[in-house]
Amino acid sequence: MVNFLVEFLSNPTIVIGLVALLGLVLMKNKLTTVITGTLKTIFGFMILSAGASVIVGALIPFSAMFQSAFGLTGIVPEDNALVAGVQTVLGFETPMIMLFSFVINIILARVTPFKYIFLTGHMMFSFAGTMAIVLDQLGINGWTAIIIGSIVQGVSMVVFPAISQRYTKRILGSDDVAFGFWGSSLIVLSGFIAKKCRKKNSDENDTWEKVKVPEKLGFLKDMSILMGIVMVIVYVVTAIAAGKDVVTGLSGGKNWIAFVILQALTFVAGILILLQGVRMFLGEIIPAFKGISEKLVPGARPALDVPIFYAYGPTATTIGFLCAVVGGLVATFLSPLTGVVVLPGVIGLFFMGGAAGVFGDKLGGKRGAVIAGSFLGFAFTMIPALCYPLIDVTRYGISGLWFASTDAIIVGVIMKLAGMIFGLGA
Amino acid sequence: MHVITVCGMGFGTSLMLLMNIQEIGRKYGFEITGEAVDLGSYKGKPCDFIAASSEIVRQIISDKPVVAIDNLLNKKEVENKISPYLKK
Repeated sequence: MVNFLVEFLSNPTIVIGLVALLGLVLMKNKLTTVITGTLKTIFGFMILSAGASVIVGALIPFSAMFQSAFGLTGIVPEDNALVAGVQTVLGFETPMIMLFSFVINIILARVTPFKYIFLTGHMMFSFAGTMAIVLDQLGINGWTAIIIGSIVQGVSMVVFPAISQRYTKRILGSDDVAFGFWGSSLIVLSGFIAKKCRKKNSDENDTWEKVKVPEKLGFLKDMSILMGIVMVIVYVVTAIAAGKDVVTGLSGGKNWIAFVILQALTFVAGILILLQGVRMFLGEIIPAFKGISEKLVPGARPALDVPIFYAYGPTATTIGFLCAVVGGLVATFLSPLTGVVVLPGVIGLFFMGGAAGVFGDKLGGKRGAVIAGSFLGFAFTMIPALCYPLIDVTRYGISGLWFASTDAIIVGVIMKLAGMIFGLGA
Repeated sequence: MHVITVCGMGFGTSLMLLMNIQEIGRKYGFEITGEAVDLGSYKGKPCDFIAASSEIVRQIISDKPVVAIDNLLNKKEVENKISPYLKK
């Protein structure tokens, strides 16, 4: 019996289910809502883990091909997949950090002037996982990791929205909401650069919104399509560079080109499974978090996900995204100089590039949008390349993935460097 | 009634929009169930109407009413646009 309890309660899926259960009970929900919410959270988390293993599986032959073709490590920056992939090892710390960081966030919003409530759920999860990984590498685990991780994350959840609030207010024309997204600092920096590069004779007509852009590219807004195209190209190019013999060795005798195309599509399917899991467990947790925060900190600004900006510059969103892809590709081709190749992180380029386009357009006109998008794509891809040696995720059996979110990387690297000064970690 | 909200990823802005719609529903005395999904997953889901931000509405093809919200942060606009569709 004791054995059953220990094994059952230390399972990451059950931990996160209990978190949801607690929240739903505290919110005084009906019994049926409590049961539905708890079970859907558990299923969501299981789906997420299943997606992660599909992704990790599809990356194993890719990493081998890449290594053999170029003699370098190739990584895809994707936080959710990475963090979901380490749950078998850090599955207790991650959900606990996610929960307690929210508690810290509420306390800070109540007692300090930083009245922000961070509500972007998948980013709370990925940041919590980043904290668990970085602390684990410093030799810190269990409750100590949960306490440190929750405090760092809770502080980040109010500080980053506060940093971007000046620009957020300017773009949205409202001070009621904030920007809760772990790429906000880079998007704001892109906007700042765009502002400096504004043309001298620029007026309010200097905006992409006055330009008609064909809607032909609209189908790319379903990001699975773009990701499918990019990943097939990346896998096929790598396979050709590695050569038929190497790939046939990996495919177990199957046709090598058919094998790599299927692996590339499997990678994307894994991402879609993962996101479905994220969707299912956030659909239950976030409304609970929102309800609790509205009760405890009335009038605080909700810090929301990046698409809130797209409506303020739909054309600039497309321009920013396209420029980010170009900037990102330039960085991919330059990244081998750092000793690691960062492949295009389509989700990041898409969502962050779009926002950089809007910020750039509003602050720096047409030229500003192009500069902001390109800079963002370049920096977003180059930062993982530069920071890669500091945090090693291969020890969790994961190859070919690394962190993507700029803000999480900044915080993680600061923690790692601080830990190294104090002589922690190997 | 059952509502589907759509955004690029299906758990950020669409979830916020869904919560706002549910809040408006309660104000009018209707219990609204719903689901936030991404652009790849809305098809074939049973619902009374679909809501999404204007810039992705053009990608949505459905025989159900599709409500385009220009500004997801403007609760007045959301209320004005969805209230004609509210029913038991």
